[in-house]
Parts: sequence; C-alpha cells; structure tokens
Amino acid sequence: MGQAWNRVLTVGGDHVDTPEGSYPEDGDGGTLEMSYQPTACQHCENAPCVKVCPVNATFTREDGIVEIDYDKCIGCRYCMAACPYNARVFNWEDPQHVPEEGTGDVEERPQGVVEKCTFCSHRVEEGLDPSCVVNCPADARIFGDFDDENSTVSKYVAEYDTHQLLDDKGTDPKTYYIQGEMSPGRPWKGKELEEELDEEPTAEEPADVTGDESVSGAAANPTGGDD
Amino acid sequence: MTEESRPHHEPIPEWDEIADEILEGCGYDPDLGKRMAEDAIKIANGELTEQEFHERYHEEVKAEFGTDDRPTKPEGFDD
Ligand code: SF4
Ligand code: SF4
Repeated sequence: MGQAWNRVLTVGGDHVDTPEGSYPEDGDGGTLEMSYQPTACQHCENAPCVKVCPVNATFTREDGIVEIDYDKCIGCRYCMAACPYNARVFNWEDPQHVPEEGTGDVEERPQGVVEKCTFCSHRVEEGLDPSCVVNCPADARIFGDFDDENSTVSKYVAEYDTHQLLDDKGTDPKTYYIQGEMSPGRPWKGKELEEELDEEPTAEEPADVTGDESVSGAAANPTGGDD
Repeated sequence: MTEESRPHHEPIPEWDEIADEILEGCGYDPDLGKRMAEDAIKIANGELTEQEFHERYHEEVKAEFGTDDRPTKPEGFDD
C-alpha cells in the first residue's frame, strides 16, 4: 500500500531492528539498548536533488520545503542517486490516492515519477502541522518556523543537544534530531482534517510559512536517551 | 556537540554504492546521472561551485534531455 516516505530505522545495531550494545554475561554487565531514527526527506538547504534535476521538477519553495512538481518530472531518477539520505522513491505503480481522506490526503502521483516526503505542504499551507507530527503517539515530533526564534522548534534546537544527519556532507538539513530527556511540545495541537477546516486554525504559535525564507522541521527522539 | 554525545546513527549507505542500482534502466544516461549526483554532493561540501557544475554538464544535459532547466544556471549564462 503506497510507498514509504518515512522509514523508522534503529540506531547502532548490525541491522534494522537489532539493538546496540552487548548481552549481559553471567547475569551482569549488559548494555543493550535500542533507539529509533525516523528518516524521511530532510528538506536540505543545500539539496543535491534540486541541483541535478534537468527539468527543474524538484525545487525549493519560498518557504524552504523541497518539493516535486509531478507534472514536470520525467522519472530520470538522477535526484534519487544524488540524495545522500536515500529519501526518494520511484513510483512503479499505477497512481493511487491512499487514503482518500484524512491527514495523509496528499496529491496523487503518476506512475513513473519520483516522490518523497513533502512536509505535508498541503497541511502546512492551511496552518496545520504535518501528519507525522499530529499522529505520533509519543509526541516526538515538532514542526515550526526556524526564522522565528520564539517558535517552539527554534527554542528546542537552541536549548537541547541536536544533530543533523550526515552533517559533514554540507547539505544542511532542516530536520534536527534532539537528544536527551524532555517533554516535546508542539506549536499546534489540532487534529482537524484539512477538508474539515472552514477557517484558519487558531494555533498557539502557528507555523508561519508565507513570506518566510524557511519552514523548518525537527524530529525529537526521546528514545535516544542521553548518550 | 562533544564526540561522546554525538549519537552514532546508522549510516545510510553511501550514494555511490546504490547509484548504479537506482539508475539501471532509468531510460536516460546512467553514467551522466551518477557523475552529476556525485558532483551535486560536492557542491554541498563546498568542493565545487554551482557555476562549475552547471557549465560542466550543460552540453550533456541538453543533449540528453533536450533542455537544461537546472536552477544552477549562473547569471548571464549563454545557452
Ligand atoms: S533529503 Fe534528499 S530528497 Fe530531501 S532535500 Fe535532501 S537531498 Fe533532497
Ligand atoms: S526523477 Fe523527476 S524530480 Fe528527479 S531529477 Fe528526474 S525529473 Fe527531476
């Protein structure tokens, strides 16, 4: 059913879903632990996928979201090879609109195009958090505007120990992973479906996308512990 | 961030190990795609400028795709 835009990897083990550390010996000294790393498009500031696209189908929006124009995409897959995060998938299947309704009500993708996480731009444009943020049962994700230093996401990144994936590559992802014990907060807690909105939500601190240079996302990883 | 506090995340396989597989049968020149992908990462690394990148591949991209609409086109670049 559909394609995985967000893969939940585990950290440190030999394979996905294996722990890092060692088993206890003689009932003592075990260091096993397993933590998780949700990995989707990182919405890089310096996105290699954007630079290689010969027809400008992959582009960076004014608000910083890296998006694909499926009408322009010719399916050459150069962007997939250029993405250091393996965040893109090729759509081999007939177009599907799954689900028909709900928080994941994203645009249908034709067969033969490349697709990826959109930061739920269809929701962000309505002032709503992305679907992964709303649906995460552990409230481990925070989405907001890094251009606003008072946004929740900016405060978290300023206060906590964070890292970006493959930060040595210079891609400068707009997704940060936060370490440490904390209670993640979200700027907007509404669960309304986009089609149910008849007016702008009254968010506590809405993600302001219009006129800003970047919309930013962050994934807090409370299972990461203090290591 | 100290080295101790840096999380040891599972490294995603380097792009060049999977690029051949991704580009096989893509319908366009896989070798061109692989070289461009490598150099696009070099731009992010600061090892190559966008202008050099654009000029390096302009003719090949035009020949392969009939157009070159990459956003790396330098100001005043003559098609
Ligand atoms: S994670 Fe990959 S697909 Fe997303 S913006 Fe960065 S290079 Fe592009
Ligand atoms: S597959 Fe589509 S988005 Fe990716 S580089 Fe080719 S045309 Fe651009």
